[in-house]
Amino acid sequence: MARPNEGTPLLEVRNLEVRYEPKASRSLTAVQDVNFTIAPGEFVGLIGESGSGKTTLATALLRLLEKPGRISNGTIMFDGTDITHLDQDELRAIRWRDLSTVFQSSMNSLNPVVRIEPQFRDAIEQHSDLRGEDVSARVRELFDMVFIDHRFITAFPHELSGGMKQRVNLALALALDPKLVLLDEPTTGLDVVVQHSILQNVRKLQEEKGFAVLFISHDIGTVLDLSDRILVMYSGRIVEDQTAAELLREPLHPYTKGLLGSYGDPRAETVRITYIPGRPPDLSLVSEGCSFAPRCPEKIDRCLTEYPELLPIESGEVACHVAALHRLVGADGIELPERNRRFVGPEFVKTADESAHARERDIVLTVDNVTKVFEKRRGLKVDRTVAVADTSFVLRKGAVTALVGQSGSGKSTLARMITGIDSPTEGRIVFHGPDGDQEVASFRGRALRSYRSHVQMVFQDPYSALNPTKRLGQILERPLVNYHGLKGDARRKRVEELLETVALTPADRFINRYAYELSGGQRQRVVIARALAVLPEVIVADEPISSLDVSIRAEILELLNDLVQDHDVGILYITHDLLSARMLADEVIVLNEGRVVEQGPVLQVIRDPQDPYTRTLLDAVPNPF
Amino acid sequence: MRYFLRKLGFFLGTLWAVVTLNFMIPRLQPGDPAELMVRRLQGKDSQLDTAQVEAMRSMLGAPDGSLWTQYWAYLADLLRGDFGVSYTYYPFSVAEVIGQAIWWTVGLVVVTQIISFVVGIVLGAYAAWRRNSKLDTTITLGSTFLGTLQPFWIALVLLYVFGYTLGWFPTSGGYSASTPGLNMFFIEEVLSHSTLPAVALLIVTPIGWILGMRNTMIMNLGEDYIRLAKAKGLPDRTVALRYAARNALLPSVTGFALALGSVLGGTILVETVFDYPGLGRLMGEAVSNKDYPLLQTLMLLTTTGVLIANLIADLLYGVLDPRARRAEG
Ligand SMILES: Nc1ncnc2c1ncn2[C@@H]1O[C@H](COP(=O)(O)OP(=O)(O)OP(=O)(O)O)[C@@H](O)[C@H]1O
Ligand code: SF4
Ligand SMILES: [Mg+2]
Repeated sequence: MARPNEGTPLLEVRNLEVRYEPKASRSLTAVQDVNFTIAPGEFVGLIGESGSGKTTLATALLRLLEKPGRISNGTIMFDGTDITHLDQDELRAIRWRDLSTVFQSSMNSLNPVVRIEPQFRDAIEQHSDLRGEDVSARVRELFDMVFIDHRFITAFPHELSGGMKQRVNLALALALDPKLVLLDEPTTGLDVVVQHSILQNVRKLQEEKGFAVLFISHDIGTVLDLSDRILVMYSGRIVEDQTAAELLREPLHPYTKGLLGSYGDPRAETVRITYIPGRPPDLSLVSEGCSFAPRCPEKIDRCLTEYPELLPIESGEVACHVAALHRLVGADGIELPERNRRFVGPEFVKTADESAHARERDIVLTVDNVTKVFEKRRGLKVDRTVAVADTSFVLRKGAVTALVGQSGSGKSTLARMITGIDSPTEGRIVFHGPDGDQEVASFRGRALRSYRSHVQMVFQDPYSALNPTKRLGQILERPLVNYHGLKGDARRKRVEELLETVALTPADRFINRYAYELSGGQRQRVVIARALAVLPEVIVADEPISSLDVSIRAEILELLNDLVQDHDVGILYITHDLLSARMLADEVIVLNEGRVVEQGPVLQVIRDPQDPYTRTLLDAVPNPF
Repeated sequence: MRYFLRKLGFFLGTLWAVVTLNFMIPRLQPGDPAELMVRRLQGKDSQLDTAQVEAMRSMLGAPDGSLWTQYWAYLADLLRGDFGVSYTYYPFSVAEVIGQAIWWTVGLVVVTQIISFVVGIVLGAYAAWRRNSKLDTTITLGSTFLGTLQPFWIALVLLYVFGYTLGWFPTSGGYSASTPGLNMFFIEEVLSHSTLPAVALLIVTPIGWILGMRNTMIMNLGEDYIRLAKAKGLPDRTVALRYAARNALLPSVTGFALALGSVLGGTILVETVFDYPGLGRLMGEAVSNKDYPLLQTLMLLTTTGVLIANLIADLLYGVLDPRARRAEG
């Protein structure tokens, strides 16, 4: 494996600092004192949570920063040239030929009004001697590398699916055999199975062609799977720089430990995952000491006053006082926390026998041979799409059923039928509520409203689910007024109770805040509190954690789990992620193209998947362990 | 292909409806439509002007025969370009009167529109590409200022300064002493007569294109495909033209087709101020003289112009933006 001190590095970043100085708001330092190198042919991962400055760093490396952002300090050496202050004309010589990129969420990276081939051609002709048919031949070759049919070469970008676009972007990045490719979350937002296959493709091509990669992701599992070496970024700084193997064996920075702790082996009898409480600091405020200190379980006094330098420790570099004291200088009379490989913060534990009990509880909802067919009229023809075919399962009180499947497999259609938004084409969904057994499809008007107070929905995106103009108190009061007619003090008390249930404490500190003032995890808590307001029997949670940072996902899982234990709620947990399904659910149903392909106790399905599709899904879960 | 056929079908349908309405409306009342119409135009008590009734009748066609035969006769007349006789310019037919005026307007307005569009797009794109530069500020502030002025007022100022005070350009008409035809003298006169109205239009019309193009282009410059084009190391020209301007142009091109369509309605104010013999002035005359056949034909022409412009805009959009074709086709 290539190490930074072997030979000359391809990329060498020294003391890099990037500031955003917008006119309308406070300036902030998004990248601070960043030092690292990438050797030729090395695959380096860069990981950090949302807002930690990964994209800013990548944009600075590409010299594409635009106002109000600028490189305010430091140097970037690329392939022996200092590119920090080269002007655009001088940069043109290395662009794409030596240094190319795939952008984050690059669904929109291709010019929408131009066919794909000319978008390859302009770059290729700009930087090489290929012309005419030779360029076309090269494009065909590139399409082969990413397994895309040649007929799409002349397509327009909108004619491609998300995954195909991403493959095309990858092919475009490789068009001129660059020396370094920056991949900024190239697959975020794509289906897990698609993600997995694209990333495997990247890794294979990288090994064959020998280009170096800086691979940015917020998902440590994927990064560990692919990278030779990993940079961990926190609030604009690199806090740990280690080979992947070392990082996995012995993470040194508590933040790294926290990220690793958010993974567990879903096959184990007892799975523990940790989460990092709190949220990252506001970068526009100058902080003293270690920026991770407010969330760090290992902090000592010194952490609050002195920023820890990035020091070589063992095979890598780490910026942490405690790690340095443990491994370099010795405690020297300072009282230190124990040396620990794990994150010694809050954790969420799931054992196998909990589930065994849950599977004997009373049934609240039965889905009985349900089929849903969508018909779309196109001229005289009618397109029939079978979204869900002949599906049966039950939801139990105080138990969680996970519905797993890739996008388009019919998960959300089932959720919509269960909440009464849609009705099945065939089969029945029966609610075993306080008024006896009732068929969901038969509810109208008042009956439907009262049913909705028994069955609540939590959506994927906590950012759009909350009205930005309302205070949290008002958001939570709405359902209380609508469904229970609560007034005055009683209502206020209930709102406080709800906030406390979802651990937004003390409640009076949150009641008057707006949703945009909260972190993603806190917002999702509010969404859950709102669902709980009506005392539902069933909660349908559609990918409730997939838009959250890994470091806080476990926190929401734990909250949902507590609801199941303490309030006897039944949850239908929709996800494409088998690890979180294992953590939360007692039973799992695997859907593929609208059909149930496998169904049973979670641990059994995960340990011994019968269906090939379940195995594909399991393989797609990054598993660094 | 389906997209284009659908748009064409829609166009033909609307055109038919417009033409038919034009036929139906005067015939909805009982009695001799020609006489009724003239009465309405002149007021109840006045003497019925037989010449006017005649003109009206010849425009409406003989009121005998079933509605069907009338309708077919009307359609046949339309196809032959027979719109009846103008009251104001009696005994000239409406077709002749319009046929004269249309070239003046087309010449003046279409040419200034095209120049305005090109100038506007280029300035707007340039301002956006070099945004916040001195040039951008000058362009943007300048056009915003000019945009607050009334075109009518600008025309008057031009007329006063360059026409009456300095006497550089003739103050009214399309030509004066020459014989129309392809001779140097006539062409020179046409050019000098149309300079002031053209300048008046050229001051006002590009503003919309400049500001519109600048805004869309600035928005587009933030898109990922622009950043990627820069990362590809393409020359600035290519990024600005093929990536940014090409996309930012889309809304303007449709706007342009529509603007050309309403040209036939004429630039009434400017033409009236300069007493320019185009469709705009004609429209003004038709209104004030209650020249019903002329007015109705001008309306039909304007509506048709707008419809054709719409069709062209749609077709162009389909050619320029591949996404539009799929979304509807
Ligand atoms: N154009 C900008 N103007 C001002 N601040 C910005 C701008 N772009 C980013 N920032 C700020 O810089 C910081 C780092 O953002 P950046 O996009 O680099 O994070 P990231 O690690 O890529 O996050 P994600 O995982 O969400 O993509 C954030 O605090 C962000 O709000
Ligand atoms: S320096 Fe202190 S606060 Fe920062 S990570 Fe290390 S132990 Fe935690
Ligand atoms: Mg980013």
